[in-house]
Amino acid sequence: MNHPTPTEPTGPRETAADIEQAAADWVARLDRGPLSDEEQAELEQWAAADSRHSGAYARAMALNIHLDRVVALGNNFPVAPEPMEAPTRRRVMAVAAGVLVAATTGIGLFTLNRRSASAPAASIATAKGAVRQVALREGSRITLNTGSQVRPDLTPDLRRIDLDEGEALFDVTKDPDRPFIVYAGDLSVRAVGTSFTVRRTGPDAIRVVVTEGVVEVSRKDEVLGRVHAGISFAVEAASTPIITTLNPSQVDSALAWREGRLDLQGMTLSEAAEEFSRYSNLRIRVNDPSIANLHITGVYATSDPEGFARNVALSLGLRSERRGDEVILSKL
Amino acid sequence: MTLTTPARALWLTTRILVHEPELRSWLTRRSVPGLDVDDIIQESYAILAGLQSVDHIHNPRIYFFEVAKSVILQSLRRSRVIAFSAIAEFDALLIPDDAPSPEAIAAGRQELGRLAELIEDLPPKCREAFVLRKVRGLSQRDVASAMGVSENTVEKHIGKALGLLSRIIGRGGSRRVTSSYGNESPDADGADRATRDRR
Repeated sequence: MNHPTPTEPTGPRETAADIEQAAADWVARLDRGPLSDEEQAELEQWAAADSRHSGAYARAMALNIHLDRVVALGNNFPVAPEPMEAPTRRRVMAVAAGVLVAATTGIGLFTLNRRSASAPAASIATAKGAVRQVALREGSRITLNTGSQVRPDLTPDLRRIDLDEGEALFDVTKDPDRPFIVYAGDLSVRAVGTSFTVRRTGPDAIRVVVTEGVVEVSRKDEVLGRVHAGISFAVEAASTPIITTLNPSQVDSALAWREGRLDLQGMTLSEAAEEFSRYSNLRIRVNDPSIANLHITGVYATSDPEGFARNVALSLGLRSERRGDEVILSKL
Repeated sequence: MTLTTPARALWLTTRILVHEPELRSWLTRRSVPGLDVDDIIQESYAILAGLQSVDHIHNPRIYFFEVAKSVILQSLRRSRVIAFSAIAEFDALLIPDDAPSPEAIAAGRQELGRLAELIEDLPPKCREAFVLRKVRGLSQRDVASAMGVSENTVEKHIGKALGLLSRIIGRGGSRRVTSSYGNESPDADGADRATRDRR
C-alpha cells in the first residue's frame, strides 16, 4: 500500500481506529448503567495504559453528549429503513406537488425533477396533549404544540412552512437568501433569523409572539405589520391587528407549553377551560355563566385538566365534579 | 492518567469537538512523517481531559490547536530522524487566525439533518438500537426488550454505532458511514502524499 511506514519501528502498536472503537465500547457500557467496581478498575487501567486511550475515551464521552441532540429528530424518526410501501406513496405525493407547481409557474418542469428527488412536503403532526420538536435539514427547529400540524417545504430559495392547525414555535437559522415563511391560510409570517410562535386561532386568524428578532406579518401581498421581540400580534379576518407588548414573564408564559405547562395568568375561567381542551379530551365545562368570567391565575400541567379543576374549585369556592369525559365546575 | 469527568466531557463537547474538523485538516496539510493525525487528536484530548481546570481558557479553539502543536513538537523532539530545522520550522507555525472558514463552521456545526443521514446509514441492527436509545430515549434495558435481544447485544450495537459515528463526526462528516470502514482516512492520505511528493 501507499501508506508510509514509520521510520522507526515501534513494535505492534494499536491503531488509532482500534482505540477509538474501544473507547466507544466503554462509553456504551457506561451508557447502560453504573459500572461495577471491577469494571471501573478495568476502565481506569485501560485508560492509564496509554495516553491515547484516555484521550479517545474523553473524546468518545464528548461525542456521546454531542449525539444526545438527536432526540430532536422526534419519535417519528424511523428505527428501520422505510418499508416498501412508503416510498411509493411518497413518490405519488411528490408528483402531485410537482404538478401543482407546474400548473402555477413557468419553471414547473425543472422544479418537478428537482422536487421528486428530494422529500416532498410531508406533514408533521402532534396528537392532543403532545409536544414535539423537529429539526429541518437546514438547521431550523420547529416545536409543535398540542394538536398541531405543519408542512415544511424547503426549496433552494424559499423555506415555506404551512401551519395547517394548532401552534408552533419556529427557531429559524439565518439565511437572507432563503426567507422562512410560515403560512396560515392567506396569512403569512416571514422571518430571516429569529424565534417566534404562530398559533392558528381560526381559519383566518393567528397570534404571533416573537421571542427574538423581527418578523413581518402579511395577508396575501399586503403587509399587516412588523412584529418585534416581546410583542404579541393577533390578527383576525378583516379586523385590525391587536398588538400587545409582553413583559419577559409573559413571553415565558406564552411558551410554557414547551415544557408541558399552561400559564393561566389573567385568563377567565372559561378561557382556561378552552385552553385545556386543546390538550386533552377531558373537557372542563363551566356550568354557570356567573362564574365563567372569574379571573384565575397559576401554572398547571397541560396533561392534568382534572387537577386544575379541583384546584380552581378549592380556591374559588366552587364544586368540581367528574362525569365521564367532562369535569363540571359549578357553584357550591 | 485521569478519566474525564462529566463536566469536562461537556466542555469538550461544546468548546472543542466543533473545532476538530478544522484542526484535522490543518494537521493533514502539514503532516509529519510517522505521525498519524488520529494519534495527535487522541493525545490532544488526553491533555485537555487531564487539565486541572479549563477556567483560564478563553479561546478553546486556539488552545486546542496549541495543544496539538505541542504534541507534535514533543514527538518530533523524541524522534532521532527529524532534522532540527524541521522542528524549528514547525514550532514557528502560526495557528490560523480566529476566523474559521465557512466550511469549518458548517462541518463543526454538524446539523441535525446531517446526523439523521449518518444514523440512517448505520448497519440495520445498530441503527435500530441507536434510534431507540438516543432518539426515543429508552434505556438500554428497554431497548433490549423492544428488540428482543439481550442487554449485552444492545450494548455492543450502541458501542458500534458510537464508534462508527465517532469516525465521521469530528472529521467534518464529509463521508458517510458505509465508506469509512477503512482505518485510514482516504482524504487525509491523498493530501499527505501530495505534500510529500513536493519534497
